[in-house]
Order: sequence, then C-alpha cells, then structure tokens
Amino acid sequence: MKNKLIKSTLMAGLLFTGFSCTKLDEGPYLFDKVTGDKFGKTDLEVQSLVGAAYANLAGVGGNNHYIPLNEVTTDEIVVPTRGPDWGDGGHWVRLKRHTYVATDPLPANGWNFCYSGVSTCNRLIFNLTKIGTPSALEYIPELKALRAIYYYWLMDWYGNVPLSIDYSVTTPVGNSPRLDVYKFIESELTTNAPLLKKPTSVPDVATYGRVNYYTAEACLAKLYLNAELYGAGKQYDKAIAACDNIINSGVYNLMPNYADNFSQNDQGSKEFIWAIPFDHIKFGGLNINMMTLSYLNQRTYNINAQPWNGFASTAEFYKSYIDTIANPGTTGMVVGLSPKGDMTRGTLDKRLGNFIVGPQFAADGTRLVDDGADATDPDGTPFTFTPYMNELEPAAWRQSGARIGKWQMYNGMTSNMDNDFVIFRYADILLTKAESIARNTSNWNDATTLATVNQIRTLHGGVTPFATLTAATFLAERSREMFCEAWKRQDMIRFGTYNDAYGFHNADAPDALGPNGINHLNIFPIPDAQINANKLLKQNPGY
Amino acid sequence: MNLKKLAKGILCFCLALFSTMAYAQNKEVTGKVTDSKDGSPVAGISVLGVTTSGKKVGTATANDGSFKLSSTDGISKITFSGVGFEKQDLNVAGKSDVAVSMKSSNTALNEVTVVGYGTLKKREITSAITRVNAEQFNKGNINDVAQLLQGKVAGLSISRAGGDVNGGFDIRLRGLSTIGSGTSPLVVIDGQVGADLNSVDPNDIKSIDVLKDGSSAAIYGTRGSAGVIIVTTKTGTKGTSQVTYNGSVSIENAARLTQHASAAEYRSLLKTLGAGTDYGATTDWYKEITRTAISHQHNLSFSGGNEHTTYNASVNYRDAQGIAITTGLKQLNGRLNITHKALNDRLVFNVEVSTTRKTADLGFSNAFEYATIYNPTSPVYAQKPEQDLAGGGYFEVSATEYSNPVALLRQNSNHQQLSRLNFAGSAEYEIVKGLKFLTRYAQQQTSTYLTAYSPSTAFIDRGFYNGVTGVGRHGYSYKKDDEATTQLYENTLSYNGKISNLEVAAVAGYSYQDFIYQGFNAGAGNFITDLSGQDFSTAQDIQNGLASINSYKNGNRLVAFFGRVNLNYNNFAFISASLRREGSTEFGPNNKWGYFPAVSAGVDLNKFLNLPGFNTLKLRGSYGVTGALPPSPGLAAITYTSGGNYLINGNWISTFGPNQNDNPDLRWEKKAETDIGLDFAAFNNRLSGTVDYYKRKTSDLIFNVEVPAPPALFHRAWKNIGDMTGNGIEVALNYEVIRKTSKFNWTTGVNFAHNHVVLTRLDPSAGSYIGETNLGSPGQEATQITRTYAGAEIGAFYNQVYMGLDANGKILADDGTGKAVPAGPGTYKTVIGHGLPKFEMGWTNTFNYGNFDLNFFLRGSFGHDLINTNRAFYENPSVAALYNVVKTKYFDPKLKDAQIFTSLYVEKGDFVKLDNATLGYNFNIVKKANGVKSFRAFLTGHNLFTITGYTGADPEVRYTDNLNGNILAPGIDRRSTWVLTRSFTVGVNIVL
Repeated sequence: MKNKLIKSTLMAGLLFTGFSCTKLDEGPYLFDKVTGDKFGKTDLEVQSLVGAAYANLAGVGGNNHYIPLNEVTTDEIVVPTRGPDWGDGGHWVRLKRHTYVATDPLPANGWNFCYSGVSTCNRLIFNLTKIGTPSALEYIPELKALRAIYYYWLMDWYGNVPLSIDYSVTTPVGNSPRLDVYKFIESELTTNAPLLKKPTSVPDVATYGRVNYYTAEACLAKLYLNAELYGAGKQYDKAIAACDNIINSGVYNLMPNYADNFSQNDQGSKEFIWAIPFDHIKFGGLNINMMTLSYLNQRTYNINAQPWNGFASTAEFYKSYIDTIANPGTTGMVVGLSPKGDMTRGTLDKRLGNFIVGPQFAADGTRLVDDGADATDPDGTPFTFTPYMNELEPAAWRQSGARIGKWQMYNGMTSNMDNDFVIFRYADILLTKAESIARNTSNWNDATTLATVNQIRTLHGGVTPFATLTAATFLAERSREMFCEAWKRQDMIRFGTYNDAYGFHNADAPDALGPNGINHLNIFPIPDAQINANKLLKQNPGY
Repeated sequence: MNLKKLAKGILCFCLALFSTMAYAQNKEVTGKVTDSKDGSPVAGISVLGVTTSGKKVGTATANDGSFKLSSTDGISKITFSGVGFEKQDLNVAGKSDVAVSMKSSNTALNEVTVVGYGTLKKREITSAITRVNAEQFNKGNINDVAQLLQGKVAGLSISRAGGDVNGGFDIRLRGLSTIGSGTSPLVVIDGQVGADLNSVDPNDIKSIDVLKDGSSAAIYGTRGSAGVIIVTTKTGTKGTSQVTYNGSVSIENAARLTQHASAAEYRSLLKTLGAGTDYGATTDWYKEITRTAISHQHNLSFSGGNEHTTYNASVNYRDAQGIAITTGLKQLNGRLNITHKALNDRLVFNVEVSTTRKTADLGFSNAFEYATIYNPTSPVYAQKPEQDLAGGGYFEVSATEYSNPVALLRQNSNHQQLSRLNFAGSAEYEIVKGLKFLTRYAQQQTSTYLTAYSPSTAFIDRGFYNGVTGVGRHGYSYKKDDEATTQLYENTLSYNGKISNLEVAAVAGYSYQDFIYQGFNAGAGNFITDLSGQDFSTAQDIQNGLASINSYKNGNRLVAFFGRVNLNYNNFAFISASLRREGSTEFGPNNKWGYFPAVSAGVDLNKFLNLPGFNTLKLRGSYGVTGALPPSPGLAAITYTSGGNYLINGNWISTFGPNQNDNPDLRWEKKAETDIGLDFAAFNNRLSGTVDYYKRKTSDLIFNVEVPAPPALFHRAWKNIGDMTGNGIEVALNYEVIRKTSKFNWTTGVNFAHNHVVLTRLDPSAGSYIGETNLGSPGQEATQITRTYAGAEIGAFYNQVYMGLDANGKILADDGTGKAVPAGPGTYKTVIGHGLPKFEMGWTNTFNYGNFDLNFFLRGSFGHDLINTNRAFYENPSVAALYNVVKTKYFDPKLKDAQIFTSLYVEKGDFVKLDNATLGYNFNIVKKANGVKSFRAFLTGHNLFTITGYTGADPEVRYTDNLNGNILAPGIDRRSTWVLTRSFTVGVNIVL
C-alpha cells in the first residue's frame, strides 16, 4: 500500500515535470512587433530608421501646435468661439488674448512634438554610431542638424528648455538658460552644415524634404536675425552671411507665380529650401482645408470629410491687402469689410488668393445655402464668407471670417492635402537679408532692402513698388508675403508689436519677467504635464 | 445550551422509548419521518436498513413521511439521510414501527463551497467567500450573467449606467484593489480559469462563489488581485431524469431621460437670446429614437444519468430588443456536460462543451446625446431641399458632432457577431483512497466580427468609424475581426484524508495557460452603389489609396506551480495555507516570476463559549498575496513598428522606430490583504450573518504615466508607480422574520459594504499626480476634471469651485480663500467631489404564502458624486444658438459665459433603486396526471423606481471612465450613455 502510494506519487511527479513548460521568453509572442536589436541591418532599414526622425514632422500641417502657436497668437489668424463650436475650454481665445496658461493643450502639444523629434534624433545618433557602417554614419550630421532645428523651435517658443542630447543618459535634466540653448543650436548647425549635402539645383530629389546644407544655413539665418531677443546680442552680419550662402549659390529663385509655392503640386518650387512633403496618401497631416473651411464647403471641393469651420483671418489683416493707401496698386472690386461682405473698391494684390471670401458655391456651381446660419448674421442663409467677424466669443457667426486659401484647395481633395508645406522659403531668406541690412544700418530705406522688398512685392503681388519703407511698412509687406507660414509670432516679437493691441487682442500688460527682460508672454509656459513629470523643470517666470 | 447536545438528548430519549418495545427481530419495519422543527412529515428521506446478516435494504419516505422496509431476515439498524438533514442511525432491533424526528442539518455550514482547485464545506472556510445559489439570483429581464449577482454579495459592485441592451457591466470586488490589467474579478467556470463570464447562459448556472479576500484568491496568483468569481454550472444527477423549460417575455421602456428644454421652452429661449433657428416643427427626439422593447428568452434543458454516466444538456435562445430603435441582440447558446466513471468509479472523465453565437445591433450610443441636444424645432424629415444634406430625406444641419439621431440609427448599421466556443475536458484518477490525480485541458475561442456601414445618403456623424464625417462619402464600410484563443492545461494531485481528529485536504498542481489575440480591421468608402457595401473590392477608396487596414497578433503565457493544505481539527479549528509561484512572458527577464503565499485560520468559538442562542460563532483570519499583470504584452522589450512614411532620396519609405518606452524592470503588481471575519448563526439558525473587515496594500502599481521625454522616447510610459492601501467592512445578515409556521413565511436579508482606497505613495518619477482625465470633445480635451495624487482617496474630481454668477452672467469661482473671482484656467482648483461610493447596500425580502411567493430587492449606493457632462456641455443658454439646452433645476438663464467647468456640474449620486420585484405562483401538480413535476409562473419588475437627487438619467456608480477606460477616473456621467430603463417580465418554469 505504502509502496503503491510512493510509486503513484512519483509517477504523478514525473507527469508534472514531463509536461511542465516553464519557458517565459516573450519573443515568440511578439508576433507583430520587431524588437529593436533586430532592426537596422540593411541600408533600407537604416533609411527607414532615419525616416522616423522626419515622420514626426507631419504635425506641422495641422491645428495642434506649429501653425496655431505661431499664427493664432498674432494679428493674422483667429479661431473664434462659434456658439458651441470651437469653445474648447477657451484655449483658442487664450492664444488670441495672450492669456495662455501652463495647462493649455497647444503649448503642451508643441513641446511633445519637438521633443519627440529630439528623442528620435538622440536615439538614432546613438544607434547609428553603434551600427557604425559608413552608410549608417553618413546620416549623423543630418540628424544633428535636424535636432538643432527642433531645438530652435523649442528655444523660440519656450526659451529655457532642457538640453537633453545624449541617448545614453537616462535621467531627466532641468532647464538650460535660453542663451545656452541658442549656443548649442548655433554650434550644432555651424559644425554640421559643411558635412551636409549641397544640392546644385532644385528641386533636388536626393534631399527633398530633408535637411541639407541650405536648410541648416536658413535656420542659422533665422537664429541670427532674432539673436538679440534670444540674449545673444546683434548678429545681423552672421545672418547676412548665412543668407548669402544660400543666395549666392544660385540654386534658388523666386517663383514668378506666387501661388505656385502653395499649389497642390508645389514640389517643383524653386523657392523651397525646406518643405515638408505632404501627400494625401503617403504623408497625411496638412489639414488646413479642414481647419479653415466651413462644413458646407465639403460640397465646394467634394472633400471626403466635413471641414471644421475654425481658423480664419482677421478683418484688419485682410484689409492690409486691399487698402489702397497701405498697399498701393491697381484697384478693382473686392469683397469689403462690411458685416454683409458687400463688394468695395480695393487693391488687386495677386496675393489676395491667400483668402477665401465672398459667396460660396457647390462644385457644380449652385449657390450654397446654410440652413443653420446665425439669425443675427445680416447676410442670412445664402452662404457667404465675410472678412467681418462680429465677435471673438462666445457667438461668432459661423459664416464670418476670411478663410485661409493660400494652400490651393482643389476638387476631390481629402482631409489630408497634397500641397507641400514650406518651412524655409527663398523669399523669406531674401527678406531676412533685407531686414538684417536695415537693422544693421538702422536704415529701412537701404537700397538693397528697398529693392528686395519691391522685387518680391511686384513679382508676387503685382502691386506698385514702394518709394520708401519704415519698420512698420516692412513688416506689413513681409506679412502679406509670408501670411500663415508660421513666422508671424517671431516677426511681431522682433518688431515689438506682439504685445500691442490688434484685432481681438488688447495690449498686454508690460513686464520684463522673461529671459533678458522680455515680456514673459513672449515665451510660452512650460507645459504643466512636463513640470509634473520632471521635478527638475522650473516654470518660466511670470506663469 | 448547545443545540447538538439537546438533539442528542432527544435522540437518546426516543431510543429509550423505542427500546421498551418487544425485543424481537422484525422482518418488516414501518415508520414515519418528521421534521424536528415543526413536526411536519418529510418526503424523500433515504431509508437504508442493514439486516442481521449484513444485507442492505433501502427505500425512501413517501409524501406523508411514511416508509416501509422489509427483509427476509430481521433489520437491525436503519440509517436515515436526506438533503438538509443530519444523518441519523437508529437501532431498530426488535422494533416494527418507528417514529423518526429528523433534525435539519446546519445547512449553511455543511453546504459545499467551491474554492480554487477544490471544494470545502462552508464550516471549513477560513477566508471571505460568499456563495450565491441559483434560487437567490436576480430574476427577470436578464441577458448578462453579471446581472444575476447585482447587489447580492457584500463588497461585489456590479454596475451599468443606462439600459444599453448590449452594454457590459463593470464588476468590482472590494473597490479598486489593482490598477493593473484587470479590475474585474477573475472568472473561473467549472475549473476553466479566465473564461468569459458570459460563455455560460444565466439559466445554466447552479451557483456562483465569490472569493473576496487575498487569501482565497492567492491560489490564482497573478490574476487574483481583483478577486475571483467561480461559476458552477448545472450537472446531471444519477438516477434522475429531468426536463426543464424556462421561458419569459419582457417589455422595456425608458424610465429616466436627460432633462432638456421642450420645443416651446427652446423657442422662448431663442427669442431672449436673439440667436439660433426655429425650424417650425415640434419634435420630441427621445420619443423618436426610443420604443417599447420586447424581448423573449427560452431555456430548455434535460439531465439525468445512471451509475456510470451523468449528463446535463441545455439550449438557450434569447431575442432582446433595445429601447433605442434598431438595436437589439439575438443569442443562441448550447451547453453539454457529461461525466463518466470507470474502473469502479476510480477514474472519472468529464467533458464540457458550450457554444454561443450572438448577433447584436449595437446602434450608436451618441444618438442619446443628440436626442438631448438636437434642435426640438427641427423636423425629423427634411422639409426643404437644403435641409436634405445627404439626399436620404432626413433633416440635417451642417455642424460638427451634431447629427439627426433618428437618421443616425435608421440609416447606419453597426452589427456585431460574436461566436464563442468553450471546451473543457478532464480525467481524474484515484490512485489510492483519498489521493487523486487530475489532468485538465480547456480552451476558449472567441471571435468578434463587427460590420458597420454608412450609406451614401447618410450625413455621417463623427461617432462613426475611422473619423469619417459629412456628406458625399458615397458610402463607408468598416469591418473588424478580433480573435482570441486561450488554452489551459493543468495537473493537480489532491489528497483528502483523516488522521484521528484531523481532516486533511491538500492539493498541488501545475498550470500552463497561453493567450493568443489576433485580428484585423479595415475601412473604405466611395462605392458606386450601396448594395456592394459589404464587398471591399468595390470600394473606390482602395484604388485611391484611401482605405485603412490594420492587423495585429500578440499573446502571452502564464506558468504556475501551486499547492495548498487545509486542516480541520474536529470541526472546531481550521487552518489553510497555500503558495503559488507564477511566471509571465509579459515581464522583463529579471522579474518574470513571483510568489503568492496565503495563510488563513478559523475557529468555531461557540464550541467552547456556548453562548446562549448561538448555533455557531466562527472567527477567522486570513492573509494572502495576489498579483496583477500589465495591461498589454510587449511592454518590457523595446519593439519597433512602422511610424508612417517619409521621403528618402525621392522614395517613400515606411519608417520604423520604437512605438513605446520599454521597461525591462517592469515587475508584478502585488496586493497583500488581511481579512478578519466572523460567521455566526443564532436563534435556531433564524439569524445568520457574516462580518468581514479587511485591510490591504497594493504595491508596485502598474500604470501609464507621464514621463519626461527625453530621456524617455515617449512622454507616457508603463511603470510601477506606487502603493495603494484600502480597507473596508462588509456585513451580510439574514433573518427569518416569520418561520414557516402555517402557510406564511418571511425572510429578509441585508448586505452592506464600505471601502476606502487611498494612493499612499506615488513614485516621484511618475510625477505629482496620475490618472487625470478630461471633459472631452469638442474642445474640452484639455479640461482636466479628475486626478489622483499621493495621500488622496482614489476617484477625486479636481477643478474650480463654483461661486455663482457676477452681474454680467460670468461664472465666478473660489480663489482659494473663499473670495469669488472670475473663473478661468488659472483660477484656484481643488478637490470638488469623489466618484466612488462610501458604501453600498442591498436589501432583499422574500415572502411565501401558500403557493405564492414575493421577492423584492432594493439596492443603493451612497456617498458618490457624479460629473454630469451633459450639463457641463449643454446647460448654458448660449449653446441654444445651435443646440438644444440641458435644463435641470440648476439651469440659470442669467448665465452668459463660455462653457467653463466648475463644481456646478458635480452632483451627489446617492440612490436607492427598487431593482427587482418578483411575484411567483407554484401550481399544485396532480401527480402523474401529465408528467409535470412542477410548474411555476412569475411576474418581475426591474428598476421599478429610483430615489435620487441626481438630475442625470442614471445615478449608477461609474467605476471606469467609459470614454477612455481610465480606472482612476470614476464618476463621470458621459453624454453618450443610454438612458435608464424599466422592464416587466412574465415567465414560466416547468419541470417534467
């Protein structure tokens, strides 16, 4: 009996061990994932890795950070509260009124966008160094320059940001002063620019959409143009030198037709120093059509989704194009500034195509009727975009506001547009040089400055050249040219108008709490979520 | 005076009485068996006699309690036994007529309770386990197993806000005890660990045991932290043959709506506002989208068996309509359970197969949001061409997140087909007496196939799949297939024996389980004709590169060794100890294995205290450690997936990079729980009850938190982030107010549970708070309304404190000193409510009068707050420019501000519901007249009334934020929740 018991127990024990699997390697269960150590072996895989540092840039075309942070905070763009629509907890209104706080979503999105890019670059610089093949190492200067551009945006937006640049350091770091970040960017760009590819003509297939020598120089030009604000003193000579490196190469030219820089097939533009190559299938993210068009415009362009009726330009900015005194040129009938959008005589600047205004039609030409029109909107149910906007909140009329038409809206587009979105454009570099010369010589009527402004103005706008310039008329002209290209916040800060009163924005209370004594509002608050996650981070003064 | 001693005394007296009779060996013994309680005759008592020559003769008592045993030689001894009575041996040598008084056994204590990997008598239980038998289940319009238990077990919270016929239930045991993968208890069905609770039909369940404390759940190791629910299904009994039919028909209606302005009120609001549009019609949108839903369900089962084989087979069919038009479900379920014994009963085979096929029309829950806010002056159907935006004939207006709810439900389909196959087979061999080896294999396969279509004539709402919106999409088709398979293989060796006064039960085993999940989903539009909407190859989006396709496959494996020993000393003192060592593929190489020990003990104090009136008084204490898994696999390793394309050298290349932060140090979340309990029965067992107090600490909580990126790759990471402690008290009492004296009896039962959970430690690397959630789209995605931080109770609402309106109708809030300042994003914020209840109660009453029975059941939750998001978004006159307004007692026409979230939208959620009331009648059956054994008819009302101060549709506790599944954000009444419903059911139970 006892023997039997022992035997049986042993047998059971054997059964146990015989069938007992104790392997717990997760590998066999990761059916649909590639573990990091198994990727990066071939040139194609290396290209795929590098591409990840750029794929992040899809975010610049939407309403999450890049365009709104740089434009809704200025006199160009407004996102009004249209009754229950776009109230969004008030954060759009706060961008407009410069009452943004650390818990607001857009500064948080901008931070995550840039640092996601920085993170990827850090990781790739580390991993490609480890892989060590020539074809892997070749990308490192490019990734360093791209990282510097991400840091440029961070430094411009938030000022004192943490300099996290080494993937092997796994502990978080605290803020660096704005000037230190400036120096890092300058050093990275100047060191790596000479190692980057130099296209001899554009469009250049090999570097299109990516950071090349001229991209790095363009970023340096912007860095130096604003250096004084960043606490680095006047650097206009360096800005001019960087611009000249681009201009004198002869690679780039102004496009005779302004609209060709923003068309569905704008990839051929000779002005693109760096553009994000959006594509409705391969690289979606340019959603300006969704952001600005009204719901009913779905039928104007046969879009595959209903637009959101949000972003619009302000009446005063629209006026800067049609005003016959401020912007002299041939005149004709244009949509005016009255609440009904009555036609009026105004300057026919070719760049008026930057806006969509007036009566709206379906693709087949029938007039659109908006059954949901606001009862108080004087032009009623016939669907009309008026530059006039009754109020910022809480009940802006749903048909009010000139819409952003700069990027060509085409029939049959999807919510993701095909148009490529330019970050550094040749006209901008010409204007950067013109401004640097004027600032260097304290003379807005410097011959080169005036000639450059008039060259662009006559070619792109088809309007009369200016005889003289002031800082204000220079900025106004620069703004007509650069509308909605996401440089306006920086421009207004540089020209000292950011804190002034303008459409739907009262003058900011003056203070000198920001770095180097600037108004604290001229950099954004560090997002609350980041301060929560990283104990070493200190909030920017004034927030 | 001990009852047992009393009984013994009575027995001795009887024996003495009988022994005075002639001392002769009788060939025939007759007698009558009565109930010691009231002297009533007892039928069906087994009467087993032993003759002088050792032969056995047997019979059973008749309806009048009489029996007759006869034998060729004399009968010396008779054993009387029966369910619910203590076994009695009677020496009948020399007697021919005996009167036997059967003492009802302490059924509560002898009842078998299912514990992990075994069974114990209730008296032997040393941890907090509650058993609910089928007769105690909730009855009526029941389509989900969870409904059976709602309110029945102290500490087990089961809730579903609103009456979505296809909606699932949130199940929580003892509040939030883990924030790992499963906050719902682990489900074990007939030994099949991790089975879906709804793989069994409610009709097929015999009993459900709820393992509440850490000690009882610890044998299930890594998945026991949220408790364990063990379901035992019906089986056949040898020597019987039974056919059962249960059938019922229900009607269901909307009982409470989201309060909103009527068309007349809205019209006058438009006049004062000077905005918005009066379209001239008067439409009650709730009336348009709801109906009286009719449901019916049928269950047919047959069971029986002989010496070797027993079986139970059942077929269930249910067809339930939802109160929202076009919604409902149809389900066919079959189950077969066969047990066969061989080798002189030493080898026992069991096979259990069940299959379920459910087709559901899910509808679109945001129809309820739109029914609230859709302009009540809009007609249902377009009156002018410009109102017919999509050409389907319905009235629509171009706006975002705003759609005609009737069109939404009528035009678009959202159809789900669920198939589930469960197979379990086991073989048990008794090696020597008491020592058994059992091997079990089980698998569950679940396939969920969803098809949704929005035709070319529909104005597509943002709530449809893949974010498609508006008109002119020429149809959009979406399909999603999810396949889940789990395989379980277990071996156990168990021993049951007795060494003098010590009963020993021991079990040791090995468990292997793997899980494979795979699926795909695709969406594409632009069809030439809606008729080919189910054929993706005809979607022009595919040629145009605009279709979306995703697929996945992942899985994990659990391996465990476990053992347990139970000791019972003379039915007086009890000890249990167990240990499980378990490993999972989901953890990093350094932390794969964990140990989960438990120990518990109990002693029946009454055995030596002999308290007057008390029948039992058992004190028990337990301690156990359980664990929790991460919510998804692959979190430990760094894995790469495609992150979109980019243009490299003129070619689009699919880019690869990490898709998450890796955490090779991720380790088990562990919960250690101590439970002290008291089980008692008194006054002839008329009063019985259980009291439990527990205290627990969950450490190494696994949660997704914000981390600084860089150095992290992504700004959220799964980490072990802190500790949580909880304590609570549970009381369950049952009292037979009126014992069956004549025709009437009345039993009442009440259960009460309180628990309190605090996040005691938050790792600095996880930031200063976690678990935040927002008010939601449109636009309030950045409005944080909850947060959890160290030292605070879980479930806090966090925002501004409402202080009224200023003269201009702008919202004022507390600046932190009690001063009213304009509300805004920078204004002082603090805790403004709590989403979890302070305590929950259930109160049941059962009355029997003759053939009638009446049961009513009240359920309540108290002390929880709710964020009424309908009000937060729409109780503002300014939204009337486009939307109808929510109009409760808090509506203030003076409000002239944007939608700013404050404590104004936090309300007390306390409620009492008359959850269930059932009136039944048992027909007298004329024996053998038609073969019917019993016939019962009943009428049940569900949700007959709700007492609450809450202004929303349903004050039920929201344990999880249903918008994003955030378990640290309870208490949010989201806008797309179905309204509360009420139902009435008539049904019959027939046994043949």
